[in-house]
Amino acid sequence: MASKSPPPPPPPLPPSFASSSRSELPVDLSGNKANEVSPTVRDVSMVIDSLKKQVAAERIVSVKKRMEENRHKLVGVTNNLGRLSMERMAGSETDAHRSLDLLTKRQKDATDMHNGIHASNDDGESNSYPEDSHGSTAVLLGSNVAVKNAVRPIKLPEIKRLPPYTTWIFLDRNQRMTEDQSVVGRRRIYYDQNGGEALICSDSEEEIIDDEEEKREFVESEDYILRMTVRELGLSDTVLDSLAQCFSRNTSEIKARYETLSKEDNAAEGSKNGDTKDISQSENSFLEKDLEAALDSFDNLFCRRCLVFDCRLHGCSQDLVFPAEKQPLWNAPDTENAPCGPNCFRSVLKSGRFSKATSSAQADVEEKCSGGSSSRKKSSAKRRTKCSQSESASSNAKNISESSDSENGPGKDAFSASQAAPPKTKPVGRGGVGKRNSKRVAERVLVCMQKRQKKTAVSDSDSIVEGDHSSNDMVTEPPVLSSEDNARKEEFVEENICKQESTDNKSWRALEKGLLEKGMEIFGRNSCLIARNLLNGLKTCWEVFQYINWDEGKMSGSAGDGANSLVEGYSKGNNEVRRRSRFLRRRGRVRRLKYTWKSAAYHSIRKRITERKDQPCRQYNPCGCQSACGKQCPCLQNGTCCEKYCGCPKSCKNRFRGCHCAKSQCRSRQCPCFAADRECDPDVCRNCWVSCGDGSLGIPSQRGDNYECRNMKLLLKQQQRVLLGRSDVSGWGAFLKNSVGKHEYLGEYTGELISHREADKRGKIYDRENSSFLFNLNDQFVLDAYRKGDKLKFANHAPDPNCYAKVIMVAGDHRVGIFAKERIMAGEELFYDYRYEPDRAPAWARKPEASGSKKEDGAPSSGRAKKLA
Amino acid sequence: MAKVFGLGSEPVVGSLTPSKKRDYRVTNRLQEGKRPLYAVVFNFIDSRYLSVFATVGGNRQITVYQCLEGGVIAVLQSYVDEDKDESFYTVSWASNVDGAPFLVAGGINGVIRVIDTGSERIYKSFVGHGDSINEIRTQALKSSLVISASKDESVRLWNVHTGICILIFAGAGGHRNEVLSVDFHPSDIYKIASCGMDNTVKIWSMKEFWSYVEKSFTWTDLPSKFPTKYVQFPIFNASVHSNYVDCNRWLGDFILSKSVDNEIVLWEPKVKEQTPGEGVVDILQKYPVPECDIWFIKFSCDFHYNQAAIGNREGKIFVWELQSSPPVLIARLVHPQSKSPIRQTAVSFDGSIILSCCEDGTIWRWDDVTNVPPA
Repeated sequence: MASKSPPPPPPPLPPSFASSSRSELPVDLSGNKANEVSPTVRDVSMVIDSLKKQVAAERIVSVKKRMEENRHKLVGVTNNLGRLSMERMAGSETDAHRSLDLLTKRQKDATDMHNGIHASNDDGESNSYPEDSHGSTAVLLGSNVAVKNAVRPIKLPEIKRLPPYTTWIFLDRNQRMTEDQSVVGRRRIYYDQNGGEALICSDSEEEIIDDEEEKREFVESEDYILRMTVRELGLSDTVLDSLAQCFSRNTSEIKARYETLSKEDNAAEGSKNGDTKDISQSENSFLEKDLEAALDSFDNLFCRRCLVFDCRLHGCSQDLVFPAEKQPLWNAPDTENAPCGPNCFRSVLKSGRFSKATSSAQADVEEKCSGGSSSRKKSSAKRRTKCSQSESASSNAKNISESSDSENGPGKDAFSASQAAPPKTKPVGRGGVGKRNSKRVAERVLVCMQKRQKKTAVSDSDSIVEGDHSSNDMVTEPPVLSSEDNARKEEFVEENICKQESTDNKSWRALEKGLLEKGMEIFGRNSCLIARNLLNGLKTCWEVFQYINWDEGKMSGSAGDGANSLVEGYSKGNNEVRRRSRFLRRRGRVRRLKYTWKSAAYHSIRKRITERKDQPCRQYNPCGCQSACGKQCPCLQNGTCCEKYCGCPKSCKNRFRGCHCAKSQCRSRQCPCFAADRECDPDVCRNCWVSCGDGSLGIPSQRGDNYECRNMKLLLKQQQRVLLGRSDVSGWGAFLKNSVGKHEYLGEYTGELISHREADKRGKIYDRENSSFLFNLNDQFVLDAYRKGDKLKFANHAPDPNCYAKVIMVAGDHRVGIFAKERIMAGEELFYDYRYEPDRAPAWARKPEASGSKKEDGAPSSGRAKKLA
Repeated sequence: MAKVFGLGSEPVVGSLTPSKKRDYRVTNRLQEGKRPLYAVVFNFIDSRYLSVFATVGGNRQITVYQCLEGGVIAVLQSYVDEDKDESFYTVSWASNVDGAPFLVAGGINGVIRVIDTGSERIYKSFVGHGDSINEIRTQALKSSLVISASKDESVRLWNVHTGICILIFAGAGGHRNEVLSVDFHPSDIYKIASCGMDNTVKIWSMKEFWSYVEKSFTWTDLPSKFPTKYVQFPIFNASVHSNYVDCNRWLGDFILSKSVDNEIVLWEPKVKEQTPGEGVVDILQKYPVPECDIWFIKFSCDFHYNQAAIGNREGKIFVWELQSSPPVLIARLVHPQSKSPIRQTAVSFDGSIILSCCEDGTIWRWDDVTNVPPA
């Protein structure tokens, strides 16, 4: 368009056309106009053309407007910059020390000379080179004077440049390549470093994925034309076809878009009336979901192998593998019988029971207890010692069953009571009662103990905590208070039990139910642990307890006597679980005893060790088999062992079962793990375990038998300090800080995990630069340390190296460890044999003659050069 | 690859018919050497030196000139790197915190040379980049901050006063090939834009890292001990071009960038705040530049961004009015002897002088003669 032509007049509709036209849009697809006469193609194209012109004109105007706005802003910006520039001048002029500013001096000289150029033309030579200490001054140049000869340049002392490298990010563990880093299918342009300008496009044109086919979003203007055309002419095939042609899209696409637009319009109108609704709703959306939905992002983002979110190695959205064998239930060893908090079922049950047992004495007790906190402490202390004895004596299972016996009676009452009386709704006698209550409870315990001479264990431990807490502060008081209130309230609510039960059940949201189920998988029927760990802030221990047992009762069908079945269920469940876990433990041990190095599971591994040493290792992916792995097992098919991350039970024949070395410290091929190029795994091996800390945590830091496993260095990151420096051979080099012995682990070669296809593509690029950081890892992945890695990526190749690299399976992942091949002294440079595939080795890495020089010289090889372990 | 523009998002393309708004004549031509010159730049940082410019090139020289009346150019200073392999690709004016005029240059060696032109001495040399340096720019709001774009795929922020490498813009979201150009946002002190051989333009923010920038001014320990930070993710990643992007400059909040497609493109990055890294590019205008299909040709603007000058492969210069819509070609500068590719131009403060430096080692001076009667 002509540069000077005035912009086209603004279109009839203002830019806010969308909103203004929205209400008039025929929402009904079979509008009146469409039915009357079907417009001809010419009509349609005329309408569309005019609309197109209008849109184009609008665009020009809008660009102009934005340019203008930007210009206005920029004026302020440049003025500010100009001011800064002036200030710099002013600042330096006022500064007296700047008298020796040579640039200013030269500038002035030049101007002076220029002004007096004719006068000093002849003897310019002597004038323009005053012999001051600062060398030459300005020289005036007309045309065609070689600058080189005009002034004597000031020398900048040489600075040794760094060996070339690409900026890289340190990685302490391998990462899988993210999609956007792929070079596969992307056009790559090279330039010939020596040839200067020539751009050489990549040789993989055929691989270019046509981006053109990508679905284009409808832009605003297209929507506008679509709306307006339909509004003008109605919706008909002619219109759709013309529009499709105009937008170069499918007719169906246009139609679909129109439908969404009409829907949007409807929605927009609807929302005008009630747009405040949405906000309040979104508030509690999390709690409204069920557990599955709530865990969705967890399942997607949490790596069950590395136990971290957003794992860069195994990625998001991994296949979920659920173990066929459940873990033995988790038990808190010490707090077994202590109430977990104010609303612990133990407190509630107990207080309920006591309230019945001592209801007659209640009044008296209330009178008496004014301020006996000291005596209470004493008594609780006494009991504690007593209890610890009894506790240690009696087994867990016994405890539980005892408690269930004793709780039989009052269970029902307490159950109903706590329902009716959440602490806050009871304003009756709040202030004083709390303290008195705790005292009273303590006394009741005493009374109770006397009554039931033998059944001491449970109530004892209960009272410990009771004493503990009350001696602390107010925290424990609310429950006691409530229990007292409960006792009072008892009669009123008894008849309402059933009703409340059902409503109570309803008040459990799907999410909470889901969490409870998970909790029972983890902790068994331990409501304390479930409430604390999974339903914190949502449900109290007591509520959990009730729910579990109510559920149980319902299932068993004998819900008639709620209390009985409740407690029975509780004890039964717990015992059952316990028994099972013990059983499992025993079974496990038996199998381990049977275990031999020649057992069937090792056959395949052995075979691999002996026969397929030169084959690449195979990538392990956990299988989800729910029974012992058969022929269908992906691990078996893939030729890998099953690992601890597989779903299959431990009895799976394909499992790698670790070693049971002790004295050998797993340092030789005697150790099955070592022989299979695996690190020992404390989860799997029998005698390989990790101790941590200095013993202050109560765990022995060293067992003292000197048998600790020496085959877990990668896992534990027990690496040597490696230094980066200028290589004695070429480019960068890796150096060792401290001396090490033979076979010592030095560090890991980390990098990006890329596919072989990707590696082939990248390899071509790297070969052009004649510097490759690719390392074959296994049949699926290649490590690329080009942009991400660690210092060991700079260790150079040598045919007679002092290190060697080894691919090792560590907790299901292949990793590359660099080991000392011989004794290496502090400060020595590290070399290892890259073991390039013979035909692909770059010239400098070819045997036999070890040229010693690396990377830079030598012609690029035809294939890709990848390091092998 | 022709880009398909949706209806209503077509760029406004400038016409190549010169408007003759300004008329330029060659007033001087210097031969600096036989080797190519890669950069020429006026000093906008300090208004004392608005007529002073510097050139660098393959002759490993940094030369300081002054434009005088009547087309005269005076050589003020000259520096030469003792390393025979050095070849400077870029130079930028900066200043020390006390206002001393600095020149910052870099090239094939990857060593950044900071020269105090006030005392004619090397002030510092920054070693750190792993490969050649393709562009250095100065933060006009804080003129002792410079930023460098390198072949090592990183962009680095330096404090020339203390010699500290403050930030490295590279890593997971960084460039995937040489970075060819970088520029500071003129008013948003946190923002920079970089572009390179991976065909992308990336906008980075150093807002979260600003405390490090401030710390760099008061750092007294060794510069190498400074906790240099990596900025791994840009806030915007634009695929405006389908080939090397060798020059980008901010025009207010818009970005001017060029590839090897015979045009400069002006576009608006629409950054989505909630999803960093993503965004929409709205291409507003295009400034055609014929025969400009080789890479490493950079354009330059006057102080107020009213006009941009760019040379081409054949030694011609196109002067565009940047901020008019549609764009107006102010002038097309042609001289029969100027036939060598022009690597960079420099436009003086008010646009009255345009300099070009060429592959053949020449510097051309063009003066605005619109209001000057022919001699």
